[in-house]
Amino acid sequence: MKDTVADTDRKPLKVSIVYCAACGYEPQTIALASALMHTFTYDLAAIELIPWQEGAFDVVVGGDLVHSMYRDGGFPANDTVIAAVRERLER
Amino acid sequence: MGVTREQFEQGMSYEAFKAQMTRNQERLAETERTLALAEEELRFFRELEQPLHVLVLAEDWCGDVINNLPVLARVAEETGKLNLRVFLRDQNLDIMDQYLKEGKYRSIPVFVFFDQDFRELGHFIERPAAMTVLMDQAVTELFANDPAMQGVERGASPALMPEAARNRMGQFFGEFRARTRADSDRAVLQEIRGLIERGVAV
Repeated sequence: MKDTVADTDRKPLKVSIVYCAACGYEPQTIALASALMHTFTYDLAAIELIPWQEGAFDVVVGGDLVHSMYRDGGFPANDTVIAAVRERLER
Repeated sequence: MGVTREQFEQGMSYEAFKAQMTRNQERLAETERTLALAEEELRFFRELEQPLHVLVLAEDWCGDVINNLPVLARVAEETGKLNLRVFLRDQNLDIMDQYLKEGKYRSIPVFVFFDQDFRELGHFIERPAAMTVLMDQAVTELFANDPAMQGVERGASPALMPEAARNRMGQFFGEFRARTRADSDRAVLQEIRGLIERGVAV
């Protein structure tokens, strides 16, 4: 079966979501992970969820911290993260 | 600002809050079971001239709620001088947004102390300031001395840490809580005592 990107073309791009597990951030985490799954299907190497503490909500795409609640405040818009992923996939 | 008596009375009792929890019941029960407050720590509250009303903002998923709300509830139970009403944060954002940490974070628990006329005496947010300082010192020490943290930038996202460093940090949070539990409980009492004293003096 042929999907959006052939295995041989796929870039090993990983997205990591760090979420404070003591802060009730699971809904935002799951919503973002779901948006990434539906948008990129096979194009991501991994979507990693990292439970953390101390109010963290970070999103790292291909080694770049594209959102930090400490640094940027609040949660990222899913579309912002999707754009960051797309930009790196197309590099 | 604040709440009216009518609004306050709509809150849950501590027992009702516990009954509606869908997670962390065992952790909260363990906090209660192992909580030991000395009589001299309770005396100030026992000797309050009038009982106080205490509005609590909480959610069952919050670690600081699980750690600190049982301390307040035990004082209420032991002294009969604190009348608690618990409100769920996410269903009461109009109240929550009056008590933001640093003016922007919806941190919980929040304990707001009112006198008999519903004049606010002061409020406590999340955890004692002394514990935040202690945690900061412990993290500094961890990054300076623990082999797993060598070369890791303080403040780096956990997603960018080597796995050994990330695991060590995760382990550290649990160790810190276990090591400082008694200090934390005492600090909660000291902080709320201080804000009541200052509020009453105004």
